[in-house]
Amino acid sequence: MIRPDDTARGRLGAGVDASVEDRLPLLVVVILLVFGAFIVRLFQLQIIMGEVFAEESDKNSVRLVRLEAPRGDILDREGRVIATTRPAFGLQVLPSDLRNPDLAFRALSQLLGEDATGLREQVGEARGRARFQPVRLAGDLSYDRLASVESHLYALPGVMTDVRPRRDYVGADLAAHVLGYLGEVHRSQLETRDYVGYHAGDVIGQAGVEALEQSHLRGRDGGRNVVVDVRGRVVDVLDEEDPVTGGSVTLTLDLDLQRIAEEAFQPDVIGEPPKMGALVAMDVNTGDVLALVSKPSYDPNAFAGGVSAVIWKELTTDEWKPLQNRAISGQYPPASTYKAIVAAAALQERVITPGGLVYCPGHFTLGRRTYGCWKKEGHGSMSLRDALVQSCDVYFYQAGLKLGIDRLAFFARGFNLGRRTGIELPSEQPGLIPTAAWKERRFSEPWGAGETVSASIGQGFDLLTPLQLAVAYAAIANGGRVVRPHLVLRTQDPDGRIEEGLAPETVSTVPVSPENLAIVRDALTGVVEEPRGTGGRARVPGMPVAGKTGTAQVVHLQHTKDLEEDEVPIKYRDHAWFVAFAPVDAPQIVVAVLNEHGGHGGSAAAPIAQRVLARWAEKHLPAAQVAELKTEASHVGD
Amino acid sequence: MWGIDRRLFQNFDWTLFFLVFSLVAIGIVNLISSTHSSAGLSEEVRRQLLSLGIGCVGLVATVAIDYRHFERFAVPIFVTSLLLLAATLVLAPVTRGSQSWLFGGRLQPSELVKIALVLMLARFFQRNPPGEIRRVRDLIRPLGIAGLPVALIVLQRDTGVALLTVLVASTYLAFVRIPWRGWAGVSLIGVAGFAAMWFFFLAPYQQNRILDVVDPGRDPLASGYQVIQSRIAVGSGGLLGKGWVEGTQSQLQFLPTQHTDFAFSVLAEEWGFLGSSVVLSLYALMLLWGLFIARNSKDAFGAMLAIGVVGILFWPAVLNVGMVLGILPVIGVPLPLFAYGGSALVTALLAVGLLMNVSLRRYVF
Repeated sequence: MIRPDDTARGRLGAGVDASVEDRLPLLVVVILLVFGAFIVRLFQLQIIMGEVFAEESDKNSVRLVRLEAPRGDILDREGRVIATTRPAFGLQVLPSDLRNPDLAFRALSQLLGEDATGLREQVGEARGRARFQPVRLAGDLSYDRLASVESHLYALPGVMTDVRPRRDYVGADLAAHVLGYLGEVHRSQLETRDYVGYHAGDVIGQAGVEALEQSHLRGRDGGRNVVVDVRGRVVDVLDEEDPVTGGSVTLTLDLDLQRIAEEAFQPDVIGEPPKMGALVAMDVNTGDVLALVSKPSYDPNAFAGGVSAVIWKELTTDEWKPLQNRAISGQYPPASTYKAIVAAAALQERVITPGGLVYCPGHFTLGRRTYGCWKKEGHGSMSLRDALVQSCDVYFYQAGLKLGIDRLAFFARGFNLGRRTGIELPSEQPGLIPTAAWKERRFSEPWGAGETVSASIGQGFDLLTPLQLAVAYAAIANGGRVVRPHLVLRTQDPDGRIEEGLAPETVSTVPVSPENLAIVRDALTGVVEEPRGTGGRARVPGMPVAGKTGTAQVVHLQHTKDLEEDEVPIKYRDHAWFVAFAPVDAPQIVVAVLNEHGGHGGSAAAPIAQRVLARWAEKHLPAAQVAELKTEASHVGD
Repeated sequence: MWGIDRRLFQNFDWTLFFLVFSLVAIGIVNLISSTHSSAGLSEEVRRQLLSLGIGCVGLVATVAIDYRHFERFAVPIFVTSLLLLAATLVLAPVTRGSQSWLFGGRLQPSELVKIALVLMLARFFQRNPPGEIRRVRDLIRPLGIAGLPVALIVLQRDTGVALLTVLVASTYLAFVRIPWRGWAGVSLIGVAGFAAMWFFFLAPYQQNRILDVVDPGRDPLASGYQVIQSRIAVGSGGLLGKGWVEGTQSQLQFLPTQHTDFAFSVLAEEWGFLGSSVVLSLYALMLLWGLFIARNSKDAFGAMLAIGVVGILFWPAVLNVGMVLGILPVIGVPLPLFAYGGSALVTALLAVGLLMNVSLRRYVF
């Protein structure tokens, strides 16, 4: 019960404060006024204007037509369109308005060239509220079909045509993995903070730049409130708001390079399967990604109007995973491309000198195991430069052993290997740079010296992505800066406001002196430019190129040793690597190529890089030099 | 503690009881119509009946405890409700753009916080009689009390509920005695506070939400369409309405969110001017009866509590009916006691319980 002290505090028995009581009539008046106004308004709507509204509600009244906003364009660095939006004509059926379904479906089957029962099944036996929901039977009619449908609409109540914007990827699968694709927003996405303002059924970017820049590319939908008659035909427009086209996104890609790079993955001989793999071309100073290819690829146009279950299943169950962006999420053993990193590390740690010679008899023995050089008869006496130019394994076995795995890993990480490069795209993989501690953790086994031997030619546990390799070689080329690769140059919103993408960023500096990097660069030039170099097929007349080949074993030799090279099943064949930068005296572009199961780096990957480098030279070197280069090229062709 | 007394039954407030439960009953009849389908009673009706049961238990419990105990526990209740609000910010998954649901969507602390706020403010004004507040600076403390939950609700992006909470708190301003220059100052503080929030706290999408409220034509897809359809529904009801489950606008689903925010337009369509005037009159009478309870309360806390409850029931009704009749912009605020929504019904019944509490104890000394 109430205690006595409450009496004092709660002014028990004091009644209501007079000042409160004074103001109560004010509240009474407010309540009476507000509810009085409501009743007056009700009277106005229901009694005075009641007839008008009753009529409006009778004659099917108002429908809301949503005017879908076109998505913004995606452009290359020179403003050329890669993805745009075009009008697509569709056909819908409103079950409640179908007067004579049999007749209507028969007519539609002729007009659309489809089976009548199939169309009927798509619409189904709509009951109750579903009868008022339009069903879409066609999303992208050709002009001819549209014309014939339009001319029969008068006789087909309940059938409607409409125009909707549809995404158009101008180059079909050109740069597909950069662009990504569209898809309906998932239920789980709608429940997150990022998709506030989206509705079920909205089509959004689900991968690549389309997803990354979704908020920029999406426009603002418009709407139109229309009065329709009993046949669903519009008789009056009450109000309308135009849709606003989405903003545009300018990528760092150069379509010329992108195109030539994709072409280079076409089979050399008609009838051969297309090449698989990835290519990254990047500006060594800014990190601008100039071309990014992943093969096999897909045509994002197939997703533009909602992907069909058949195509989606095909893409997701394909053995070669066409949806995977190999350039950023394919992880491969670096093979001999790793030797440049080992060389830089060994020079910096002074375990080798540029002039010191190592004799290669064609094999190397450690304990009871013998490790072969790729050249069985041996290279003879090798300097560092010779060893890189001819990719001598024995030289690097010894250099790697002197370094030890942990020092080697330290330098590899210094080149940003084993961690994500930070490109804007999602699903980038970090690769793997092993250390002794890593192996202990992972396998509970100590690191063996033999594993260091394998690691020094990039055939151990090491894995990296083509993009990581490009970034590492860019650092060799630009004097030691690890740049952050990026794809979005700038965005422009519908009002014309421009926002720059990520500024060129130096993530870190490699722990190797500029002098040592210069030694490595010089040797890498020899790989391409010297007669005995393994990368001769990357030569571009008129522009000195530096690079490194690599041939990554996919399976242990015993699976394949008895077979001739072209008898090996494709999935057991070696991966061919080539990574190059040019021009040698002031490097600007780096190209990393992986030809998956392509064979030897020098023959299967270097020619792909060569075509991209040659195209770059044609665009960027002075006109006189280009002319000279072309005549030279034609001589080479002879 | 349990102040159940024979006199409570003798003094039972049948008027309040009748007004409240006739509104609830009409609301459920209306809900049956707006969610009508051939499949029998809809899931919504079942849930609403369940919430009604929970609400009634809550109401009885609230009445049983002498309201003066609520004064003693106002601070812990208020703090707890703030903590719950903060917890939703941290824990609750974001649903449909606002994250105000807790415990698997069963509890919405931003509803309960209105009651806690009213308890807290009633306690404050009991100790600092509003009639003695003559300077703007005396308003700083109550402003701070109301500002805490409002800030938390704004952070949850529930702008409609934040606005409601501000309005509920502002009910008490009717009793303060500050000169007109002071009122200018109060408005200035309001405008400045809003501007500061606008520029420093609100993300663009939140700003858009508020702009949508100011100008519903900004987004004709949602609000403009609703306004047009709601006006047609209400207007076509005429004098006597189209009859229960006969409303074409609602049965053909032209009306969006018809069982929640637009429940009243379904009523107006099916029951016409007559039916909707009756419901509005019941509502107005209930509010006036609440003020009557405040006047007859035996102490200042009771009076302030009753006035707060009137505010809790008055403001959402104004926003909702104003929206349905196309006078006010579209804010998703349902009509208390009448519309579908479990958390809202339970809260409203708890608030009614406080009112009943004050009413029953007017003679108990």
